[in-house]
Amino acid sequence: MVGSLMPWWLAGPLFGLTVVSLYALANKHLGVSGGYRQLVLLARGRPMPEPWRLWFLGSLLAGAAVAAVVFGSPQLGLSYGVLGHKLNLGALVPLLVLGGAAIGYGACWARGCTSGNGLTGCSTRSPGSFLATTTFFAVAVGTTGLIRLLSGGAL
Amino acid sequence: MLRRNAVYLLVGLCFGFLLTASGLSRYDVIHRMLRFEDWDPYLIMALSVATALPLLWLLQRIGWVTPLGGRLSLAYRGTERRQVYGGAVFGVGWAITGACPGTVSAMIGGGSVLGLAVLCGIILGIRAFEATEETQAERAAAAAQRGAALSSAPALSPRRR
Repeated sequence: MVGSLMPWWLAGPLFGLTVVSLYALANKHLGVSGGYRQLVLLARGRPMPEPWRLWFLGSLLAGAAVAAVVFGSPQLGLSYGVLGHKLNLGALVPLLVLGGAAIGYGACWARGCTSGNGLTGCSTRSPGSFLATTTFFAVAVGTTGLIRLLSGGAL
Repeated sequence: MLRRNAVYLLVGLCFGFLLTASGLSRYDVIHRMLRFEDWDPYLIMALSVATALPLLWLLQRIGWVTPLGGRLSLAYRGTERRQVYGGAVFGVGWAITGACPGTVSAMIGGGSVLGLAVLCGIILGIRAFEATEETQAERAAAAAQRGAALSSAPALSPRRR
């Protein structure tokens, strides 16, 4: 069902309303990477400072499952967009794990990810979140350009 | 407690639904965004902030009391070097995988197996960061202890190498 996605002018304000709802109802800062941090602490038998994030994370997966039925699933099974067409699994899996490790390490270091810093931190007018957001956008654009250059335009 | 968890569940459901419905959880969409071939994701994020920022500002200004969490207090984060370093490392991972913690969760919710590979990496990255943080804390504590020992009894505790 490609081409039937929710339009940007509707998705944008709705994302904003989820951020506002969580603050207005429960006084909580919306963010995803914090949820995975709780999971790591739980696995290590350490106390979780914010166990509520696990409820949010679990239901995020469920909400995405519902949307996948309506709008089509992103990267179902072993597919991974154009990257999946261009790389075989032997190269793709290690690359994804490596990229994931940079995401996890960087998100902790920057005190948040695209949601906690980008969507929510910028909305609470935090200069630190704005700094992190500008940095990861700039570096991601730069890295994408570099990958394109090094792969001779293939990736 | 139950009502609070219901709020987290409902907002999480909506957020996950939106991540997939908007297309942000697709590698191709994020990759095209980072190549400036698709501007929709930028518009989505800009509109999200443009919606939430004035509403939160207004709620803060009127001294809104949240039904489940007391008076509204928006998190304020000042600038630190770590946001630049962390943001840079995060940006590299974002460019490679076309995913972030939120969108990878949405991928997995939609039945992506390779999304699990990214998730394994994220967990490893978080664990590595905690290890770094703990080592630094131990070093700082050891240095403080040495410093205290040296200043309290300089003659009796010769510096050990």
